[in-house]
Amino acid sequence: MEKDEGSPSLYRIRFHGRGGQGMKTASRILGSALFQEGFQVQDAPRYGAERRGAPIFAYVRASRDPINERGIIHAPDLVIVADETLLSIPAAGVLHGVAAATVLLVNSGENVESLQARLNVAGRLIAFAAEKEGLHDLRYVGAACAGAAARLIGVISRSSLEVAIRDELAHLGDAIIKNNLQLALGFYDLMAPHVGVVTPGRGISALDYRNPEWVDFPFEEARLSVPAVFAPGTSARLKTGLWRTERPVLDPDLCKRCSLCATYCPENAITLDRQGYPNIDYDHCKGCLLCVEQCPAHAMRTVPEHDTAGGRKGEEHS
Amino acid sequence: MRGKAMNEKNQNRLQNRHSEHLLGTGTPMCAGCGGLAAIKEIYDVIGEKSVFINAAGCMTLLANYPFTPFRGSWLYTAMACAPAGAQGVRDALDILLAKGRLAAAEDLETVVLTGDGSANGIGLSATSGAMDRCLDFLYICYDNEGYGNTGQQASAATPLGARTATSRGPLGYPGRKKDLFAIWAAHRPTYVATVSPSHPLDLVRKLETAKNLKGPRLVLAFAPCPTGWGFDPKEMIEVGKLAVQTGIWPLKEYREGKVTHTIVPRPRLPVDEYLRRQGRFAHLFQPQRNEDVLQKIHSSVDAYWDAIES
Amino acid sequence: MKRILLTGNNAAAWGARLAGVEYVPAFPITPQTEIIETLAYWIDSGEIDCRMTTLESEHSMITAAGAAAATGVRVFTATSSQGLLYGMEMLYTVAGWRAPFVMVNVSRGLSSPITLEPDHNDILAARDSGFLQIHCATCQEVLDGILLAYRLAEHEKVRLPVLVNMDGFYLSFTREPVEIPDAAAVRRFLSGYDAENIRFRAGAPLSEAVAVLGGTLYSYFRYEMHLAALNGLKAFGEIAADFAAIFGREYRDVEGYRTDDAELVFVMIGSFATKAKEAVDRLRDAGIPAGLVRPILLRPFPRERIRNMLAGKKGVAVIDQNLSLGMGGILHAEISSALYGVAGSQPIVAGFIGGLGGRDISAEEFYQMANETLQAVEEGHAPPPRLLFAREELAEVRRMQQIAGVTRNAGESHE
Repeated sequence: MEKDEGSPSLYRIRFHGRGGQGMKTASRILGSALFQEGFQVQDAPRYGAERRGAPIFAYVRASRDPINERGIIHAPDLVIVADETLLSIPAAGVLHGVAAATVLLVNSGENVESLQARLNVAGRLIAFAAEKEGLHDLRYVGAACAGAAARLIGVISRSSLEVAIRDELAHLGDAIIKNNLQLALGFYDLMAPHVGVVTPGRGISALDYRNPEWVDFPFEEARLSVPAVFAPGTSARLKTGLWRTERPVLDPDLCKRCSLCATYCPENAITLDRQGYPNIDYDHCKGCLLCVEQCPAHAMRTVPEHDTAGGRKGEEHS
Repeated sequence: MRGKAMNEKNQNRLQNRHSEHLLGTGTPMCAGCGGLAAIKEIYDVIGEKSVFINAAGCMTLLANYPFTPFRGSWLYTAMACAPAGAQGVRDALDILLAKGRLAAAEDLETVVLTGDGSANGIGLSATSGAMDRCLDFLYICYDNEGYGNTGQQASAATPLGARTATSRGPLGYPGRKKDLFAIWAAHRPTYVATVSPSHPLDLVRKLETAKNLKGPRLVLAFAPCPTGWGFDPKEMIEVGKLAVQTGIWPLKEYREGKVTHTIVPRPRLPVDEYLRRQGRFAHLFQPQRNEDVLQKIHSSVDAYWDAIES
Repeated sequence: MKRILLTGNNAAAWGARLAGVEYVPAFPITPQTEIIETLAYWIDSGEIDCRMTTLESEHSMITAAGAAAATGVRVFTATSSQGLLYGMEMLYTVAGWRAPFVMVNVSRGLSSPITLEPDHNDILAARDSGFLQIHCATCQEVLDGILLAYRLAEHEKVRLPVLVNMDGFYLSFTREPVEIPDAAAVRRFLSGYDAENIRFRAGAPLSEAVAVLGGTLYSYFRYEMHLAALNGLKAFGEIAADFAAIFGREYRDVEGYRTDDAELVFVMIGSFATKAKEAVDRLRDAGIPAGLVRPILLRPFPRERIRNMLAGKKGVAVIDQNLSLGMGGILHAEISSALYGVAGSQPIVAGFIGGLGGRDISAEEFYQMANETLQAVEEGHAPPPRLLFAREELAEVRRMQQIAGVTRNAGESHE
């Protein structure tokens, strides 16, 4: 199979979200829709050891020619961010490989100029406030993102998108399909002003490429190079609080200091102070809300993360 | 023993243990993980003078380079052979102690940590062998009733009727949950106990008992799994309580040939109250009740407690 | 025939389904589990007539697979990495039963340290077991490879079990367009299982796999297996021709891509080889006559074909996604041995170790490998094996080691 020399024919698209927000489904809907349009397609989710709520991503490649590239997309043409709280988490890798030609689509109510300045990205940035546009259940954010992305790419018809959603969600039943369809098509329509802004990127030329700078691999003694952790409790450096979409908040006036919350918290994210009042470690609380559920005095309440003062902004992932 | 009825002495006891915790934060376990809730309580009792010997399962990911929540030691072996790893560590510690190359104060409790998949299946031969040899070790099994780490396929600990990734038919899992407690007890080890994170005082007392004994000891921890069983993470403790209150998960211990039930639920709540909470049993109630399977589940629970209470 | 998007795992399940497998002994392991989940779903919903039994370990699973095949049903199973190695004793054992079945391995790096992502040390650890090996580069090849594998395994001059390998994540969880052939067409290619003389029946008692005392019998039985495996080369050619006639897709034991006029040839197995194809195209754009040689069949080893394809080339870059500790790349050794002892000038064979534990291999790295190999050709001697590992990766490791409490003595590099 001969290809045109260096022809820009391959779309490279990445979806970023959290476990449970349907990024795999979003990538599959988009992949299916492109497949409907006669493209060769490759789509895949990427998840590590972390679970629900943790940052994950999924990607789609599409081309009129057979696709030989594999694995993580390093030079995306389109990056979709379903959850803007990921933007402040460097480890989520949202901006990895984002260049001037990359289109960035962010689910955010913030205005484009301030987002652009905050993220320091040169390329086109499109923001959509999914909640304002009728998305009230975060489980459907994936479908909304797929619908929006489909319009930005510009080569997917409304009917192909619809077929893709019906195919990909067939196992979930008519009611869920209906909700997803409505949202995805709504966001597809919403993106009409930006139709076709995404263009497929060129591959990396073998004439002019960055040297990978391999090292001459050094020998190190086993005491250094054994896969062992010599320090205790290092996992506290992992800020699993970033998984949270809702947080428990204590009302000290109602607290009876029974300590059940600290007992039941699976994460050890609640300790008691000297007076016996619970202290919630928001760096690590994953937001399971067992403490809210189990508090006999109803002294804990649930607060959506984006309603908390400052939210996650400023929290750093080490 | 329920939260609201907890007396002041017990309250103080809990409070004293929560000014700080031993098991570190930041683990990759799912939010609302019942296994982690049990293990963090267990670790508070066992303490950092321990070496956890782990087999493949969800908890393998507790230690993920360069991060570990443990303040004591850890060794990952493989799915089949954690008790054999414990044998090697224990034997070596004993040799070092006997030769004076290890101070008694530097000795470690040898703890095996596995899920139900390893404990009931691939690792059972190694476990049985360790008991044959009267190995001085504590085995912690977190029982989430399936191969949770690979996406909740049916294991030998999966209960009748539960839907799993490999039993998605209308009847759910057709087999019965293996009685690991009885299998251990049949080996006549030092101690066998069941615990649930929903019953922390019972759990802590049993761990303290186990810690002060020598020889083979099993603590089988109920591990309600929001991800694999299909319930909201915030309901994990409630699911644990219901398992005990309906008699599905008996809290008991074995010592010196005798089995004692540490909490006898009276009156027992209807088993359906436990089953209905979980997506994995939803097909038994919708679109219509599956009386046949439900009857089998009810009668096995009734038969168990009839035998205990008669 | 229909063409849909399928993951490698789903494609494997479809391969088994179309092959009409009757029995699936199973045990879950990431990243293979979707295969048995999919088959379980089809069985539960009555879509296929097949029995699945979840065993308590891979050792038992492989035993049950071989035993069922020896009793006369068509068997499929799947595993990965630790599971393949846990069953290693039984790989050698059931191969000796000469009872054909197919097992998919989804490649994943081996412990220690334990990991989830792919490399080929698991599957290559099984290379001496008597199982034949088919290595897939696409999801389509996974489906097709399973159909080819049954024909190969059950071929009267072969009669050995076959492993079909795909890379975890890169194929197992990645969807690509896959043509699902019609069941009727598959039936023309692959008929029902006929175990012939391998079957336990009351009317015809059989003692299978009995002990031998002494090396004479042992040598006879083992070398017969070896000859049977070698017969797989010719058999594969016949089978692939049948396959092409029915399905229109052509497979050879070794795929060559733009090799005819190539001066520099990459050698790789598995899904990363498609990245090499892309690199070949880009290198040619840049005026470097590159090509790719990809063994699909690795056992039996297509020595002659590889020799012929590499003869007369200037440089060969073997990329091993495996590491024989204390030796180097396994393929590098096998390719070098295939080229040794042939008259005339032989290519410089450079060895690269890359993609361990799922580490990506970038386009730039393919270009760099090509350039370093051509440099070695200029200099006239093969360079020492190199690990694809960037300076910034080493710096990242150092940062993690600091968190892990690794203490370096004065003078030891912290870089």
